Amino acid sequence: MSDAAPRRSKEQVVDALHDVAAEMHNRMQRGDPPRMTLPVRSKSNITFDNRLGVFKYGKKKTVRDATSLGSARQLLRTLHITEFIEEMIDSGKSSTLREMYYISEGWGHGKFGSQNESNNLAEDLEIVTKCLREDFKLRPEEDGARIIGNITVEEMNRRGDWMRINCRDDVGDSGYGVPYNVEKEKLRFIEEDIDFVMAIETGGMFDRLVENGFDEESRCALVHLKGQPARSTRRIMKRMSDEWKKPVVVFADCDPWSFRIFASIAYGAIKTAHISEYLATKEATYLGITADDILAYDLPSDDLTKQDLNALTAELSDPRFSTGWWQEQIQLMQEIGKKAEQQSLAKYGLDFVTDTYLPEKLGALGITY
Amino acid sequence: MPLGYWEDLIGVIRVGEAEEISSKQKQVSISEFFEKNKHFLGFDTLQRSIITAVKESVDNSLDACEEARILPDISVKIHRTKNDELKLIAQDNGPGIPRDAIENVFGKFLLGSRFHAIRQTRGQQGIGITGVVMYSQLTTGSKTHVVSKIKSDSTAVFVDLGIDTKKNKAIKSGEKRDTWPDERTEQGLRIETLMKAKYQRGKKSVYQYLRMTSIVNPHASISLVVTGEDGGVIEEGQWNRTTDKLPREVKEIRPHPRGVHLGTLQRLLRDTKERRMTSFLQRNFSMVPPSASKRILEAAKIEETRTPKRIKPEESRALVSAFQTVSLRDPPTDCLSPIEDLLIKKGLSKAIDSRFASTVTRKPKASQGNPFQIEVGLVFGGDLQSEGPIEILRFANRVPLMYQQGGCLLTKALESVDWKRYGLEQPGGSGIPKGPVAILIHLASTNVQFTSEAKEAVSYDEDVFDEIRKAMLEVGRGLKNHLKKSSQRKKAKEKFELVNIILPEISRKSSELLSREEPDLAPVITQIMNAVFLEEELSWDKEKKLAMCSITLHNYTARARAYTILSKWPEGDGTAMSYNPTGGRKETRGLWAWRLDTLNPGTSTLLEFGISGLSNGEWNETDIFFRGNGEIIGATKMDEKLLEEQRKTEALEAAMEEVRKREDDAVIRKLAVRAEEIASVLVTYPPKETRTEETLPKTGAEWFGLEGDDQ
Repeated sequence: MSDAAPRRSKEQVVDALHDVAAEMHNRMQRGDPPRMTLPVRSKSNITFDNRLGVFKYGKKKTVRDATSLGSARQLLRTLHITEFIEEMIDSGKSSTLREMYYISEGWGHGKFGSQNESNNLAEDLEIVTKCLREDFKLRPEEDGARIIGNITVEEMNRRGDWMRINCRDDVGDSGYGVPYNVEKEKLRFIEEDIDFVMAIETGGMFDRLVENGFDEESRCALVHLKGQPARSTRRIMKRMSDEWKKPVVVFADCDPWSFRIFASIAYGAIKTAHISEYLATKEATYLGITADDILAYDLPSDDLTKQDLNALTAELSDPRFSTGWWQEQIQLMQEIGKKAEQQSLAKYGLDFVTDTYLPEKLGALGITY
Repeated sequence: MPLGYWEDLIGVIRVGEAEEISSKQKQVSISEFFEKNKHFLGFDTLQRSIITAVKESVDNSLDACEEARILPDISVKIHRTKNDELKLIAQDNGPGIPRDAIENVFGKFLLGSRFHAIRQTRGQQGIGITGVVMYSQLTTGSKTHVVSKIKSDSTAVFVDLGIDTKKNKAIKSGEKRDTWPDERTEQGLRIETLMKAKYQRGKKSVYQYLRMTSIVNPHASISLVVTGEDGGVIEEGQWNRTTDKLPREVKEIRPHPRGVHLGTLQRLLRDTKERRMTSFLQRNFSMVPPSASKRILEAAKIEETRTPKRIKPEESRALVSAFQTVSLRDPPTDCLSPIEDLLIKKGLSKAIDSRFASTVTRKPKASQGNPFQIEVGLVFGGDLQSEGPIEILRFANRVPLMYQQGGCLLTKALESVDWKRYGLEQPGGSGIPKGPVAILIHLASTNVQFTSEAKEAVSYDEDVFDEIRKAMLEVGRGLKNHLKKSSQRKKAKEKFELVNIILPEISRKSSELLSREEPDLAPVITQIMNAVFLEEELSWDKEKKLAMCSITLHNYTARARAYTILSKWPEGDGTAMSYNPTGGRKETRGLWAWRLDTLNPGTSTLLEFGISGLSNGEWNETDIFFRGNGEIIGATKMDEKLLEEQRKTEALEAAMEEVRKREDDAVIRKLAVRAEEIASVLVTYPPKETRTEETLPKTGAEWFGLEGDDQ
C-alpha cells in the first residue's frame, strides 16, 4: 500500500492534459468528430478491487463526442479548463472550483451551466489524466475537518515556512482546521500520543466530546466530518491509519445517509472511485449509532421518511453494503422503521455518551482505556 | 330605428315553463314567476346574480350595436356599497332606445310563444334585461335608472323604472330630458341598478365572463372596473377591439320544416291567414317551393286545397312526419354569423398570450332543419399554465357558457378526442387533456338546444357532436404539426450551433493548446450533420407591408443535391405573391413551387418571398415541402397523390361554381358534363403537363410594387 498519492511534475500534468486535447485534434484531422473517452461514473460501474481493498471504477466506458450539442459543449469546456490550469501552473496560483465556475463566465460558449457541471468536469479530467485535483491547482470550496487530539503536525504556511502545531495544546475549542491539501508537500505528520481516531458526523456531538474531555480521557484524536466528508478529511484519516497504524472508528447518526458517509470513508465514494485507494480507509469501523442501539438503549427515534426508505432499498443493492453485517443492519432498520440522531443519547444526561455509551461500544471492538 | 329588433330584446321567454303558463291562459303574478324560476333565470345565488345582470346588459348592447352597425364600446362598473349590495353601471355607444319603447324593453315580460323569425341572436338565451330590473326591485326595493340617447334627439331621456308585478308592466317615474353624459358619443344607453349580490373573482366571475365575451367579439371594446366600499379597485379589465369588422349581418329565415314541432305547427295553422295548404307551406317555411309543398301534402294525404285552420290534429301529426320523410334542401345558412378563423385568432390573442394558434370554421350544416356552424380555436404555450387540465372556452351564439361544463355537449365532444395523438397528455386516455392549451368552441345556431332551462350546457345532438369532433381533429392536427416542427426546429438549431460555433471553437482551442495547425472541419461537419437542413422564418416587413417568408437550405451531406421547394401561402381574396425574386410557379391553390439550382456539399442557399394583402401577425406558420432525393430536415416530402386529389377537388369546385352562376338548365347540364370531363382528364394527365401553363417567367419577375397595399 502506497503511503502517499503519486504526485506529478508540472510538465507531466501539462502533458497529460495535452493528451486529452490531442485526442480531439487528431480525430478532427482525420475528419472525425472530436471526442474523449472516460469511465461510467455510477453505482453500476464500481467494483471491489481485491488488491487495493477498496471500490474502484469498473470497465464500462462512455464516449463523449461532438455529435450532440451538449457533449460538444463539454469538450469545449474541457479545453477551456485545460488552458486555465496551464495558466495557473505557469503563474503558481491556485483557485477554488467555485472561482473557476465564475471565471468561466468569460469563456463564451465554453461557460459552465452550473457549479456542479464544473466540479464534474474537473473530476473527469482527473480520471482521464490520472492526475489529482491538487495537481490542477484546483481547491474545493467546502472546508476540511476539524481535529482535536494529542497529535503534532507541520503545515507549510503561505510564507513557505513549516509551522509546527499540536492539535490539542496549540488550538482553541474548534480544533485544528484541516487544509484542502494534506499531501506531504503541505502537511507532515510529526508525532502522536493516541490509541485511535474517532470520526464524528455532527458538530454538536464533536463539541460534546470535546467539552467532556473525551480525547484526553480515551487517548484519541477526534475528527469532525461535517456531514459528507471532504476529500482532504478522508485523505488525512487514511494517512493517520496508514502512517500511524491507528484504528479509525466512525460515530454517526443512525440513518441511511450516515451509512453512506461511512461507506465513502471506508470503501470509497462513487464520485471519486478513481482515487479510492488514496482516500478510503479500509480499516475503518462503524461504531454507531446502529439500529441495534436504538433498541438496546431505547433511544428517542423518528419514523423513516419515504426518501429514507428509498435510500435504504438502494443501499441493499449497493455493492459497498453487500456484507452480511450491513445487510442485517439495513433490514433491521427497515423493520423497525426508525432512525435516531447521535444526540438522542442525551436522553440519559450529558455525560451518558462519554461515561457509558462509548466505553461500551469501544470495548466491544476491543478498544479499552 | 328598427323596432323589430327591439321586439327581440324584450326577451320572448322561450322556456318550457313560460309556454305552460301561457297555454293555461292564466294570469300569473310576475314576481311569483320570477321567484319560482330564478334558478334558470340566473339569479339563484348572490355570486351568479351579478354575472347574469352584466350578461343581460352586455348581450343587449352587443346585439343592438350589431344591428345598428356600430362598433361597440361597452363599459361596466361595479361598486360594492354595503352588506351584499352591488351597484352596476353599464354603458354602451349603441343606438339607444326611443323614449316610447323604454317601458317595453325594460319593464315587461312577454310570456308565451309566437311565431318568431329564426336567426342567430344572443338575446335568445336570457330572460332579458327585465329580469335585472325585477331582481333589483325584489332584493333592494330600488328603481333602475336608465339614460337613453338616440342619434336624432339632441338630448337624452332619463327615467327611473320599476315593475308593477300585478299588472306585469313597467312603472315609469322621474322622467326628464338632459344632456347625454358621455360627450364622446352621440348616442348610447346607460343603466344603473342596485341589487343584492356578491362580487367574486376567479373562474366564474364577471371578469371571466367579459374576457370570454371579448374573445368572441373581437370587434368590441369592453372595460370593467370593480370598486370596494372605500372606492379602492378590486378588479379591472380592459379588452380593446382587434378588428373593425362587424359581424356579418344575419338574415332572418323562416323555419325549416324538419325543425318544426307539432305544437308550433298547430299554432301556425291556427293563426295563419292563408286559405290553402300549399300557400301556407310555401309562405311559412323555408326551402318549400311549390313542388315540395305538393310532395309534402301528398305524403301526409292532405288535399292541396284544404284550409289550414281546418286541419285536424291527426292530420297535423301526419304533416310533421311528412316533413321528416320528404326530401328537402337544407336550410339557408346566411342566418348564421360565424366569427371566422382569423378573428377567432385575433380574439384569442387579445385575451391569452400564446405561442401558437390553430383555428377552424367548419362549413354550416343543418340538424333537424336547424342550421348550425361549429368553430374551434386552439392556442398553445406562452402564458398558459402547463400544469393541470386545459382551459375550455364554450360559446353558444357568441355568448359564453360558464356553468355546467361537464354536462355540456361541447365538452363531451372535446373529451371524445384522443388527444395523445396530437401531443397532449390525457390521463386515462380520455377526458379533458392536460397542458398549456386553451380551446375555444363556438356553436352558432338558430336553435341552440340546452340540457336545462339554465341554458348553460348544450344538449346532445349527433350532428353537432360530429361537427365539433371533426373541428377538434383539424385543430389537433395543427397542434401536432406545430409541436413536431418546434422540436425539429430545436434540434436543427442545436446542430447549427454545434457545427457553426462550438466545433470551430474546439478546433481553435485545441490547436492553440497544442500549437498545431487548425484542421479542415468540412469533413467533420459532414459527418456530424449528414443531412440537408431547411430553416424557414416568417416575419413582417413593416415598410413594405409584406408578410415575408425566408427559407434557408443547407447541404451538409457529401453529395450535391437538387430540389424543388414548395411552400404553402395564404392565397385568397386580396392576398398576392408580391415579392418573389426566385420566380417559380403556382403549384395549386395556396402552394407555390421553386426549382432550385444544384446545391453543392457544404453550401447554403436562400429563398425569399413576400405576401401582400395581409396584416402583421396574420401569417405565423407555414408548411414547406420538397421534391427530390433523400430527406430534408425541416421539410416534408411532397405527397403527389394528395396534391393530385386537391387539384381535382379544386377543379370540380371551380366548375360547380360556374354551374351555380348559370340558371339555364341546358347550360347547367352541359357544364356538369364538362366538370366531370375535367375531373376525368385530371386523373389521367401527368401533373407536370397541367402545370406548365401556370409557370411564371423566371427572369424579369422582380418587384411587383406595392399595389393593393391600401386595402
